Amino acid sequence: MNGKRSGWLIAAACLVSLAAPAAQADDLPKLKEKPTYKVGFAQTESNNPWRLAQTQSMKDEAAKRGWQLVYTDANSSAAKQVADVDSMIAQHVDVIFLSPREEKPLIPAVMKAKKAGIPLFLIDRSVDPTLAKAGRDYVSFIGSDFVEEGRRAGEWLVKTTGGTAKIIELQGTSGSSPANDRRKGFMEVISKSPGMQVVASQDGDFTRDKGRQVMETLLQAHPEATAVFAHNDEMALGAITALEAAGRHPGKDITLVSIDGEKDGLQAIIDGKMGATVECNPRFGPGAYQAAADYAAGKKIEPIVVNQDHFYDSSNAAQSLAGSY
Amino acid sequence: MQELEIVAPRRRRLVLPHGGALGGTLLSLVLLVLFNLVATPHFTSLQTLYVNLTQVTTIVIVAVGMTMVIATGGIDLSVGSLMAISGALAPLIFAGKLLGIGPGPLADGLAFVLPVLVAMGFGCFNGWLVARFRIQPIVATLVLFIAGRGIAQVMTNGNLQAFHNAAFHTLGLGRVLGVPIQVWLMATVVGIATWVIARTLYGRQLLAVGGNEAAARLAGLPVGRIKILVYAVSGLLSGIAGLIVIAINSSSDANLVGLGMELDAIAAVAVGGTALTGGRASIIGTLLGALIIQLLRYTLLSHGIPDAAALVVKAAVILVAVYIQQVRRAP
Repeated sequence: MNGKRSGWLIAAACLVSLAAPAAQADDLPKLKEKPTYKVGFAQTESNNPWRLAQTQSMKDEAAKRGWQLVYTDANSSAAKQVADVDSMIAQHVDVIFLSPREEKPLIPAVMKAKKAGIPLFLIDRSVDPTLAKAGRDYVSFIGSDFVEEGRRAGEWLVKTTGGTAKIIELQGTSGSSPANDRRKGFMEVISKSPGMQVVASQDGDFTRDKGRQVMETLLQAHPEATAVFAHNDEMALGAITALEAAGRHPGKDITLVSIDGEKDGLQAIIDGKMGATVECNPRFGPGAYQAAADYAAGKKIEPIVVNQDHFYDSSNAAQSLAGSY
Repeated sequence: MQELEIVAPRRRRLVLPHGGALGGTLLSLVLLVLFNLVATPHFTSLQTLYVNLTQVTTIVIVAVGMTMVIATGGIDLSVGSLMAISGALAPLIFAGKLLGIGPGPLADGLAFVLPVLVAMGFGCFNGWLVARFRIQPIVATLVLFIAGRGIAQVMTNGNLQAFHNAAFHTLGLGRVLGVPIQVWLMATVVGIATWVIARTLYGRQLLAVGGNEAAARLAGLPVGRIKILVYAVSGLLSGIAGLIVIAINSSSDANLVGLGMELDAIAAVAVGGTALTGGRASIIGTLLGALIIQLLRYTLLSHGIPDAAALVVKAAVILVAVYIQQVRRAP
């Protein structure tokens, strides 16, 4: 309808809220205590097992609690995800759970929900903290500490390679918070070891196909690479395919470390092809819904709720396989 | 005898595009290769060649069908969506979820054949809309461009299907005589299509329909049937391409398989010097066109240029390639 005007309004609202950061906590929409809720979950895409497990967990927990779930899938489009949140607002859901695809483009969705008086939780990924703040514009961010995930991957790689490696980095979707933060944590750690050097770094969009194609190309340009850091398991699995097709022996002449801990990833560790993967727990349902219930009960919700993540390598991958997604 | 005299010289003119056009495409490719030899580290290896050939395979296979469709004065926007359908069907079939035939050689065989036939059937539907109802091809194939991906998503609930299947693994990564199977497949498709266009009656009919449909009709050619067949071929090739994509990755994502393929294929045809007005078809040109686009992507990636910037460079090089063709084609 008047997308342009509301766009300006949001921009104006952002400016106003930036200008007066103090004493805004009361702005946060309230949630009435009710026996059951109608909640919206705006998923970003369903193109990897991690997302499927996350969606399943949200659905299962809603069914368990007898809450009504309005589910949308943005099909990898930030624009569609904003529209999905719009339609949730129009359907008068009580709470919105949003996994924002990218940090900046989803700001309008957060602001619209706030304006409509609907409390919103960010789950798994976050938005740009300079434009929207937890506790002021949305209730809370629930998810893993992506910087810490990157750090743990980096620490393992430094230890395993003895501090000397030429690394190819497969980045997640450009502009997404896990890609930005995992890179940040990883670089933080390896920059302390002068022997650790990233020789190439490109966007693999968190998918197996793109990860494989990018890896094939980067490997040709940098055959001297001795390690791969992938921002998720799907890209690491694509990289394994690329390495094998090029006659390399992943796990033997090149070391892979990744993040997520999906079933195929653990299997790759068991097969000796991947070195380690930092878990990024996708089972958000119980924690997210409990946070909403607590918020309605008037309990204080921390602006950031961090999930506890495991670490998988050859010592525990086999035991953990059955419970993985 | 009189008829032969008329046909023979025309055939030569129609079959090969002007030497200049093909030469322009070849020149662009050679320039790109030379640039890489100088500027890209480790460019001269067999593996570089295989990486590029396997990455370009699906575009070439689809673009061959596109070339034939464009030669009849049409266009096929549905190719990417048909790839998604075929890619979504195969895992459902070999896992026994669709037909109830358990995992085994029979299910594997069906998983190769049925999706391709289904894609061909959808291609026939495109052709039927174009030929029977005289709907403009861009509109007729837009129907399945939109609906096709929807069908694939509904079949899989939009979810990624990851799988382990030995037969598909072989198609994706296997080699015969040291050359990846996909490359053989691509060469076969290019070879057959070149032969069909250059040497068969159907090839000539195809070009005649594209050159002047009214004249072809008056000359008694079965224009409707020719068109339906050409869209069916395009569908069939899209089906094969869809299987290759999922075979390489051992996973099928209805949202992503073949996404944007129609534009890559059309770009390959355009860069390859086949006029989008119809009446001409250069399969070799299309092959070269696809190679240019692929090598460009490879070059940008290996020089660490981010994707967004790469798209702009890609568009610029397409313009340059087409410009070189125009210059060389002019008398």
